[in-house]
Amino acid sequence: MTTTIDSSTGKTPWVFYGILFGILGTLSILAWGPIGVSGTYPRFIGELLTLVAPDYAAANPYLQKMGDLFAKTETYLVIGLLAGGFLGARLNREKAPACEMIHPSEKSPARRYRDAFIGGFLIVFGARIAGGCTSGHIISGITQLSVSGFIFAAGVFATGIFTAKVLKGRHVAAGA
Amino acid sequence: MTAFYGLLIGVAMGFFIQRVRASSPGMIARNLRLENLSVIKFMALTIAVGMVLVYALNLVIPSALHLDVKPTYVLGVLLGGLVFGVGFGIGGYCPGTSVVGIGEGRKDAMVAVLGGVVGALVFTLVYTTLIAPIVKVADFGKITLADVTHVSPFVLALLVSAVFLAAIKLLPTEVGAKR
Repeated sequence: MTTTIDSSTGKTPWVFYGILFGILGTLSILAWGPIGVSGTYPRFIGELLTLVAPDYAAANPYLQKMGDLFAKTETYLVIGLLAGGFLGARLNREKAPACEMIHPSEKSPARRYRDAFIGGFLIVFGARIAGGCTSGHIISGITQLSVSGFIFAAGVFATGIFTAKVLKGRHVAAGA
Repeated sequence: MTAFYGLLIGVAMGFFIQRVRASSPGMIARNLRLENLSVIKFMALTIAVGMVLVYALNLVIPSALHLDVKPTYVLGVLLGGLVFGVGFGIGGYCPGTSVVGIGEGRKDAMVAVLGGVVGALVFTLVYTTLIAPIVKVADFGKITLADVTHVSPFVLALLVSAVFLAAIKLLPTEVGAKR
Protein backbone atom coordinates (compact mmCIF):
# COMPACT_ATOMS: atom_id res chain seq x y z
CA MET A 1 0.00 0.00 0.00
CA THR A 2 1.37 3.36 -0.98
CA THR A 3 0.09 6.72 0.06
CA THR A 4 0.91 9.92 -1.73
CA ILE A 5 2.03 12.79 0.43
CA ASP A 6 -0.48 15.56 0.05
CA SER A 7 0.63 18.76 1.69
CA SER A 8 -2.87 20.18 1.63
CA THR A 9 -4.28 17.77 4.16
CA GLY A 10 -3.64 16.22 7.44
CA LYS A 11 -1.76 16.74 10.62
CA THR A 12 1.88 15.98 10.97
CA PRO A 13 3.58 14.75 14.16
CA TRP A 14 5.50 18.04 14.51
CA VAL A 15 5.31 18.12 18.34
CA PHE A 16 6.95 14.69 18.69
CA TYR A 17 9.63 15.36 16.08
CA GLY A 18 10.19 18.93 17.26
CA ILE A 19 11.16 17.62 20.71
CA LEU A 20 13.35 14.90 19.16
CA PHE A 21 15.03 17.41 16.83
CA GLY A 22 15.83 19.67 19.81
CA ILE A 23 17.51 16.70 21.52
CA LEU A 24 19.30 15.77 18.26
CA GLY A 25 20.71 19.29 17.86
CA THR A 26 22.03 19.10 21.43
CA LEU A 27 23.65 15.71 20.72
CA SER A 28 25.29 17.26 17.67
CA ILE A 29 26.79 20.05 19.81
CA LEU A 30 28.06 17.37 22.20
CA ALA A 31 29.50 15.24 19.36
CA TRP A 32 31.25 17.86 17.22
CA GLY A 33 29.31 21.12 16.82
CA PRO A 34 26.03 22.71 15.73
CA ILE A 35 24.29 21.31 12.64
CA GLY A 36 24.59 23.20 9.36
CA VAL A 37 24.13 22.48 5.66
CA SER A 38 24.74 25.34 3.25
CA GLY A 39 28.55 25.48 3.54
CA THR A 40 28.64 22.09 1.86
CA TYR A 41 27.57 23.67 -1.46
CA PRO A 42 30.66 25.88 -1.93
CA ARG A 43 32.90 23.08 -0.60
CA PHE A 44 31.46 20.87 -3.35
CA ILE A 45 32.22 23.66 -5.84
CA GLY A 46 35.75 23.72 -4.40
CA GLU A 47 36.18 20.03 -5.23
CA LEU A 48 34.87 20.55 -8.77
CA LEU A 49 37.08 23.58 -9.40
CA THR A 50 40.08 21.72 -8.01
CA LEU A 51 39.52 19.16 -10.77
CA VAL A 52 39.01 21.58 -13.67
CA ALA A 53 40.95 24.68 -12.58
CA PRO A 54 43.28 23.71 -9.71
CA ASP A 55 45.29 26.95 -9.76
CA TYR A 56 42.15 29.09 -9.52
CA ALA A 57 40.71 26.94 -6.72
CA ALA A 58 43.93 27.08 -4.71
CA ALA A 59 44.04 30.87 -5.02
CA ASN A 60 40.35 31.59 -4.30
CA PRO A 61 40.14 33.07 -0.80
CA TYR A 62 36.55 31.94 -0.22
CA LEU A 63 37.25 28.29 -1.09
CA GLN A 64 40.32 28.37 1.14
CA LYS A 65 38.24 29.81 3.98
CA MET A 66 35.54 27.13 3.60
CA GLY A 67 38.01 24.23 3.70
CA ASP A 68 38.13 20.73 2.28
CA LEU A 69 34.82 18.96 1.51
CA PHE A 70 35.72 15.54 2.88
CA ALA A 71 37.40 16.90 6.01
CA LYS A 72 34.15 18.48 7.25
CA THR A 73 31.66 16.58 9.41
CA GLU A 74 28.88 18.64 7.81
CA THR A 75 29.44 16.86 4.48
CA TYR A 76 28.56 13.50 6.06
CA LEU A 77 25.50 15.07 7.67
CA VAL A 78 24.29 16.15 4.22
CA ILE A 79 24.80 12.61 2.87
CA GLY A 80 22.79 11.43 5.88
CA LEU A 81 19.93 13.80 4.96
CA LEU A 82 19.59 12.02 1.63
CA ALA A 83 19.32 8.63 3.38
CA GLY A 84 16.98 10.01 6.05
CA GLY A 85 14.57 11.34 3.45
CA PHE A 86 14.63 8.02 1.63
CA LEU A 87 14.00 6.04 4.85
CA GLY A 88 11.26 8.37 6.09
CA ALA A 89 9.28 7.95 2.90
CA ARG A 90 10.04 4.25 2.43
CA LEU A 91 9.37 3.02 5.98
CA ASN A 92 6.05 4.82 6.03
CA ARG A 93 5.05 3.68 2.54
CA GLU A 94 4.69 7.23 1.32
CA LYS A 95 5.33 8.34 -2.20
CA ALA A 96 6.30 11.95 -2.63
CA PRO A 97 5.17 13.66 -5.84
CA ALA A 98 8.06 13.93 -8.32
CA CYS A 99 7.05 17.48 -9.14
CA GLU A 100 4.87 19.30 -6.61
CA MET A 101 3.19 22.46 -7.86
CA ILE A 102 3.15 25.08 -5.10
CA HIS A 103 2.00 28.35 -6.70
CA PRO A 104 -1.01 29.08 -8.98
CA SER A 105 1.46 30.22 -11.68
CA GLU A 106 3.06 26.77 -11.82
CA LYS A 107 0.76 25.39 -14.47
CA SER A 108 3.31 23.06 -16.05
CA PRO A 109 6.26 21.01 -14.75
CA ALA A 110 8.58 23.34 -16.68
CA ARG A 111 7.34 26.33 -14.67
CA ARG A 112 7.76 24.36 -11.44
CA TYR A 113 11.32 23.35 -12.35
CA ARG A 114 12.11 26.96 -13.22
CA ASP A 115 10.87 28.09 -9.78
CA ALA A 116 12.79 25.28 -8.05
CA PHE A 117 16.00 26.29 -9.85
CA ILE A 118 15.64 30.01 -9.11
CA GLY A 119 14.66 29.23 -5.52
CA GLY A 120 17.62 26.87 -5.09
CA PHE A 121 20.01 29.46 -6.51
CA LEU A 122 18.76 32.24 -4.21
CA ILE A 123 18.66 30.19 -0.97
CA VAL A 124 22.26 29.08 -1.35
CA PHE A 125 23.49 32.48 -2.56
CA GLY A 126 21.68 34.23 0.31
CA ALA A 127 22.80 31.68 2.87
CA ARG A 128 26.43 32.14 1.82
CA ILE A 129 26.19 35.94 2.14
CA ALA A 130 24.82 35.45 5.66
CA GLY A 131 27.16 32.57 6.55
CA GLY A 132 24.43 30.00 7.24
CA CYS A 133 20.96 28.74 6.35
CA THR A 134 17.85 27.48 8.11
CA SER A 135 19.83 24.87 10.03
CA GLY A 136 23.04 26.79 10.74
CA HIS A 137 21.61 30.24 11.44
CA ILE A 138 17.99 29.65 12.50
CA ILE A 139 17.99 26.26 14.29
CA SER A 140 21.59 26.14 15.58
CA GLY A 141 22.04 29.91 15.79
CA ILE A 142 18.94 30.76 17.81
CA THR A 143 19.44 27.62 19.94
CA GLN A 144 22.77 29.17 20.98
CA LEU A 145 21.07 32.59 21.41
CA SER A 146 23.27 33.95 18.62
CA VAL A 147 22.27 37.49 17.60
CA SER A 148 23.00 36.62 13.96
CA GLY A 149 20.40 33.82 14.05
CA PHE A 150 17.63 36.21 15.08
CA ILE A 151 18.61 38.75 12.39
CA PHE A 152 18.79 36.10 9.67
CA ALA A 153 15.41 34.62 10.67
CA ALA A 154 13.79 38.06 10.60
CA GLY A 155 15.10 38.62 7.06
CA VAL A 156 14.03 35.16 5.84
CA PHE A 157 10.47 35.39 7.14
CA ALA A 158 10.02 39.01 5.99
CA THR A 159 10.70 38.26 2.32
CA GLY A 160 9.64 34.61 2.49
CA ILE A 161 6.10 35.44 3.65
CA PHE A 162 5.87 38.39 1.27
CA THR A 163 7.05 36.37 -1.75
CA ALA A 164 4.79 33.39 -1.04
CA LYS A 165 1.74 35.62 -0.58
CA VAL A 166 2.45 37.68 -3.70
CA LEU A 167 2.88 34.49 -5.75
CA LYS A 168 -0.49 33.34 -4.44
CA GLY A 169 -1.87 36.43 -6.16
CA ARG A 170 -2.90 38.25 -3.07
CA HIS A 171 -1.30 41.46 -1.98
CA VAL A 172 -0.15 41.94 1.55
CA ALA A 173 -1.96 44.83 3.13
CA ALA A 174 0.34 47.42 4.63
CA GLY A 175 0.74 46.86 8.32
CA ALA A 176 -0.96 43.48 8.23
CA MET B 1 34.85 9.48 14.12
CA THR B 2 32.93 12.74 13.91
CA ALA B 3 32.19 11.86 10.27
CA PHE B 4 30.26 8.83 11.53
CA TYR B 5 28.36 10.92 14.10
CA GLY B 6 27.62 13.44 11.36
CA LEU B 7 26.21 10.73 9.13
CA LEU B 8 24.00 9.31 11.92
CA ILE B 9 22.70 12.74 12.93
CA GLY B 10 22.08 13.55 9.27
CA VAL B 11 20.01 10.39 8.78
CA ALA B 12 17.89 11.19 11.86
CA MET B 13 17.52 14.83 10.82
CA GLY B 14 16.47 13.85 7.29
CA PHE B 15 13.97 11.37 8.72
CA PHE B 16 12.45 14.02 11.04
CA ILE B 17 12.26 16.60 8.23
CA GLN B 18 10.51 14.08 5.99
CA ARG B 19 8.03 13.05 8.72
CA VAL B 20 6.87 16.63 9.41
CA ARG B 21 6.67 17.30 5.64
CA ALA B 22 9.21 20.11 5.79
CA SER B 23 10.69 18.59 2.62
CA SER B 24 7.39 19.20 0.81
CA PRO B 25 7.69 22.55 -0.99
CA GLY B 26 3.90 22.82 -0.99
CA MET B 27 3.88 22.54 2.80
CA ILE B 28 6.59 25.22 3.04
CA ALA B 29 4.57 27.50 0.75
CA ARG B 30 1.49 27.02 2.96
CA ASN B 31 3.56 27.90 6.03
CA LEU B 32 4.99 31.02 4.40
CA ARG B 33 1.48 32.07 3.32
CA LEU B 34 0.55 31.59 7.00
CA GLU B 35 -2.20 29.11 6.10
CA ASN B 36 -0.61 26.29 8.10
CA LEU B 37 2.03 26.91 10.78
CA SER B 38 3.11 23.34 11.54
CA VAL B 39 6.64 23.60 10.10
CA ILE B 40 7.23 27.00 11.71
CA LYS B 41 6.02 25.55 15.03
CA PHE B 42 8.24 22.48 14.52
CA MET B 43 11.26 24.78 14.13
CA ALA B 44 10.29 26.93 17.12
CA LEU B 45 9.80 23.85 19.32
CA THR B 46 13.14 22.39 18.18
CA ILE B 47 14.86 25.63 19.14
CA ALA B 48 12.99 25.97 22.48
CA VAL B 49 13.94 22.43 23.53
CA GLY B 50 17.51 22.73 22.24
CA MET B 51 18.36 26.02 23.91
CA VAL B 52 17.22 24.89 27.36
CA LEU B 53 19.12 21.59 27.04
CA VAL B 54 22.28 23.22 25.70
CA TYR B 55 22.47 25.96 28.31
CA ALA B 56 21.51 23.58 31.14
CA LEU B 57 24.40 21.33 30.07
CA ASN B 58 26.57 24.43 29.85
CA LEU B 59 26.03 24.95 33.60
CA VAL B 60 27.07 21.39 34.41
CA ILE B 61 29.62 20.24 31.80
CA PRO B 62 30.62 23.30 29.75
CA SER B 63 33.80 21.64 28.45
CA ALA B 64 31.76 18.88 26.75
CA LEU B 65 29.93 21.32 24.47
CA HIS B 66 31.20 22.39 21.06
CA LEU B 67 29.33 25.66 20.86
CA ASP B 68 30.05 27.62 17.68
CA VAL B 69 28.32 30.97 17.36
CA LYS B 70 28.31 32.58 13.92
CA PRO B 71 29.52 36.19 13.61
CA THR B 72 26.94 38.98 13.53
CA TYR B 73 27.92 41.14 10.56
CA VAL B 74 24.58 42.94 10.50
CA LEU B 75 24.38 44.06 6.85
CA GLY B 76 25.48 40.74 5.33
CA VAL B 77 23.39 38.57 7.66
CA LEU B 78 20.25 40.65 7.05
CA LEU B 79 20.82 40.94 3.29
CA GLY B 80 21.55 37.22 3.05
CA GLY B 81 18.35 36.46 4.98
CA LEU B 82 16.29 38.70 2.68
CA VAL B 83 17.72 37.02 -0.45
CA PHE B 84 17.23 33.58 1.12
CA GLY B 85 13.59 34.40 1.94
CA VAL B 86 12.80 35.26 -1.69
CA GLY B 87 14.27 31.94 -2.83
CA PHE B 88 12.46 30.10 -0.03
CA GLY B 89 9.16 31.67 -1.12
CA ILE B 90 9.69 30.93 -4.83
CA GLY B 91 11.01 27.38 -4.60
CA GLY B 92 9.69 26.11 -1.25
CA TYR B 93 13.00 24.44 -0.40
CA CYS B 94 15.95 25.25 1.81
CA PRO B 95 19.48 23.89 1.31
CA GLY B 96 18.83 20.91 3.61
CA THR B 97 15.20 20.08 2.82
CA SER B 98 15.96 19.87 -0.91
CA VAL B 99 18.52 17.14 -0.18
CA VAL B 100 15.91 15.30 1.93
CA GLY B 101 13.48 15.75 -0.97
CA ILE B 102 15.90 14.05 -3.38
CA GLY B 103 16.01 11.11 -0.96
CA GLU B 104 12.22 10.96 -1.18
CA GLY B 105 12.35 10.89 -4.98
CA ARG B 106 11.35 14.47 -5.75
CA LYS B 107 12.65 15.67 -9.11
CA ASP B 108 12.00 19.35 -8.37
CA ALA B 109 14.27 18.89 -5.32
CA MET B 110 17.06 17.75 -7.67
CA VAL B 111 16.53 20.90 -9.73
CA ALA B 112 16.62 23.02 -6.55
CA VAL B 113 19.92 21.45 -5.48
CA LEU B 114 21.29 22.05 -8.98
CA GLY B 115 20.22 25.70 -8.65
CA GLY B 116 21.99 25.78 -5.27
CA VAL B 117 25.20 24.37 -6.76
CA VAL B 118 25.12 27.02 -9.50
CA GLY B 119 24.38 29.65 -6.81
CA ALA B 120 27.43 28.49 -4.84
CA LEU B 121 29.58 28.65 -7.99
CA VAL B 122 28.49 32.21 -8.80
CA PHE B 123 28.98 33.18 -5.15
CA THR B 124 32.52 31.78 -5.16
CA LEU B 125 33.33 33.71 -8.35
CA VAL B 126 32.02 37.07 -7.05
CA TYR B 127 33.06 36.69 -3.40
CA THR B 128 36.17 38.85 -3.44
CA THR B 129 34.67 41.74 -5.39
CA LEU B 130 31.04 41.81 -4.19
CA ILE B 131 30.67 39.90 -0.94
CA ALA B 132 33.86 40.45 1.07
CA PRO B 133 33.21 44.23 1.40
CA ILE B 134 29.61 43.59 2.63
CA VAL B 135 30.58 41.16 5.38
CA LYS B 136 32.94 43.73 6.89
CA VAL B 137 30.13 46.24 7.52
CA ALA B 138 28.85 46.44 11.13
CA ASP B 139 30.62 43.24 12.18
CA PHE B 140 30.06 42.69 15.90
CA GLY B 141 31.76 39.28 15.93
CA LYS B 142 30.44 36.13 17.57
CA ILE B 143 27.91 37.66 19.96
CA THR B 144 24.92 36.10 21.71
CA LEU B 145 21.92 37.67 23.45
CA ALA B 146 23.71 36.92 26.71
CA ASP B 147 26.68 39.09 25.65
CA VAL B 148 24.35 41.94 24.71
CA THR B 149 22.11 41.83 27.80
CA HIS B 150 24.64 40.58 30.39
CA VAL B 151 21.98 38.14 31.60
CA SER B 152 22.91 34.49 32.32
CA PRO B 153 22.50 32.44 29.11
CA PHE B 154 20.54 29.77 30.99
CA VAL B 155 18.04 32.33 32.29
CA LEU B 156 17.77 33.79 28.78
CA ALA B 157 17.24 30.31 27.31
CA LEU B 158 14.36 29.76 29.75
CA LEU B 159 12.84 33.14 28.85
CA VAL B 160 13.18 32.82 25.06
CA SER B 161 11.91 29.24 25.06
CA ALA B 162 8.93 30.32 27.21
CA VAL B 163 8.11 32.99 24.60
CA PHE B 164 8.41 30.42 21.79
CA LEU B 165 6.27 27.88 23.65
CA ALA B 166 3.62 30.50 24.39
CA ALA B 167 3.49 31.46 20.70
CA ILE B 168 3.22 27.78 19.71
CA LYS B 169 0.35 27.34 22.18
CA LEU B 170 -1.52 30.53 21.30
CA LEU B 171 -1.27 30.47 17.49
CA PRO B 172 -3.45 28.07 15.50
CA THR B 173 -1.65 25.33 13.55
CA GLU B 174 -4.20 25.14 10.75
CA VAL B 175 -5.30 28.68 10.03
CA GLY B 176 -8.58 27.50 8.58
CA ALA B 177 -10.07 27.15 5.16
CA LYS B 178 -9.78 30.58 3.63
CA ARG B 179 -12.38 29.94 1.04
